[in-house]
Amino acid sequence: MLPDWVEPVARYMLVEGLVGTLKIAAIALAGSVLVGITLGTLLTINFLPLRSLIRLYIEVWRGLPILVTIFIIFFMLPAVSQQLEFDAVTAAALGLILWGSAQVAEATRGAVQSIPREQHEAAAALGFGWIGRHSFVIMPQALRRLLPPLVSLLVNIIQNTTIAQVIGATELLEAGERQSERLVAPAPIGLGEIHAFEIYAGVMAIFFLISFPLTRLAAYLEHRLV
Amino acid sequence: MIVALVATFLSDLSSFVSENFDELAAGLRRTLVVSAIAIAGAFFIGLVLGAARAARLPVISQLAAIYVEVIRNTPILVQIFFLYFGLPQVGIRLDAFTVAWVSVTIWGGAFNTENFRAGFEAVPNRYREAGLALGFGRLATFVNVTLPIGGRIALPSSINTYISVLKNTSLLYVIAYPELTTTALQIQALTLETVETFTVLAVTYLVLVWTMSALIRLLEARLALPEERS
Repeated sequence: MLPDWVEPVARYMLVEGLVGTLKIAAIALAGSVLVGITLGTLLTINFLPLRSLIRLYIEVWRGLPILVTIFIIFFMLPAVSQQLEFDAVTAAALGLILWGSAQVAEATRGAVQSIPREQHEAAAALGFGWIGRHSFVIMPQALRRLLPPLVSLLVNIIQNTTIAQVIGATELLEAGERQSERLVAPAPIGLGEIHAFEIYAGVMAIFFLISFPLTRLAAYLEHRLV
Repeated sequence: MIVALVATFLSDLSSFVSENFDELAAGLRRTLVVSAIAIAGAFFIGLVLGAARAARLPVISQLAAIYVEVIRNTPILVQIFFLYFGLPQVGIRLDAFTVAWVSVTIWGGAFNTENFRAGFEAVPNRYREAGLALGFGRLATFVNVTLPIGGRIALPSSINTYISVLKNTSLLYVIAYPELTTTALQIQALTLETVETFTVLAVTYLVLVWTMSALIRLLEARLALPEERS
């Protein structure tokens, strides 16, 4: 039913491309959540120098276009020091973590501050130190509030992994572009045909199929939990 | 020692800027022009489709919902690729500038439709009923009651969308539209002054974005609904 060129192109885009996208997204999500929750909790401490530093971190990485952040990591850091040379996937994941952790930190601050004072006092009275209090008493309750924005963040991270294409990391958009260019080449390699329209429409369709259920889930959680 | 290093770097930066001033200014101007067109377009799309969604106008409302979901659930970079590299195959050839402003306008319009829909829906029904009871028609009620109140509720989220629109113009690098990021990368390729290029690029974006967020706070304070003013 489908033309012959579709099967190998689709297989490459799913096996190489989609897997690459999910890999970058998984690293970026884990890193963003870890760094973001830590910074967001520290942001609730009333110590001005620490708070200003974290604020600066948030405003810088939230303010820069992710593409510019990734360019800085991929092109500028190696020019500063040779030890700071990263491959494309790592550079893209790092750029997404800087941006994502800034988002999570801001959301975490709000979630932690929404937990009533008495919870802190009760935990302190039970003998919890600052770290124990936050890990075992405050954060489990704050996570409930944090869940809807974290699902929205996941959608944004998955979509923003496409920016890794610009520095040549293997992900869905890059896989589609490679196949689209291959098909243009003459016979033994490609077909001498242009199929960019179908391929990029396909890339959009795959992203839609992943993102749409997640945005519905985020809306549902927001409705349920808050 | 450190002071001397910083001083050298700053003088490097200033000579870098003065040597490449014309190109950088032209790139910045294109970034601002495309952003301005897209922000105006997104405002208009959001206002019209947001009102249609909130009023649940048949057909238009459903079409607007499909538009919003398709744009919000697919990466803007893929949308740019589709417009610039995909459409020529079916005979629609758009030049880089057209793709530049069309792509960010469509993207911003979809997010703004949601912002305005939420704003209009947050206006209490009793206000609209009061308008109707005073003899206003549906359109007059919208213009005089729903729009001034709902528009203010939607203001902060819509300005956030405009900031994202500005940041997203950097993605036009992939179609080589010579806005700020593309221009900076071209300068970097020619001069190999990598650290200077990216420092200037980053600082420029931060100044633009931070100015816009400062503007939000000013506008929010000025346009706050009377009962929320402190």
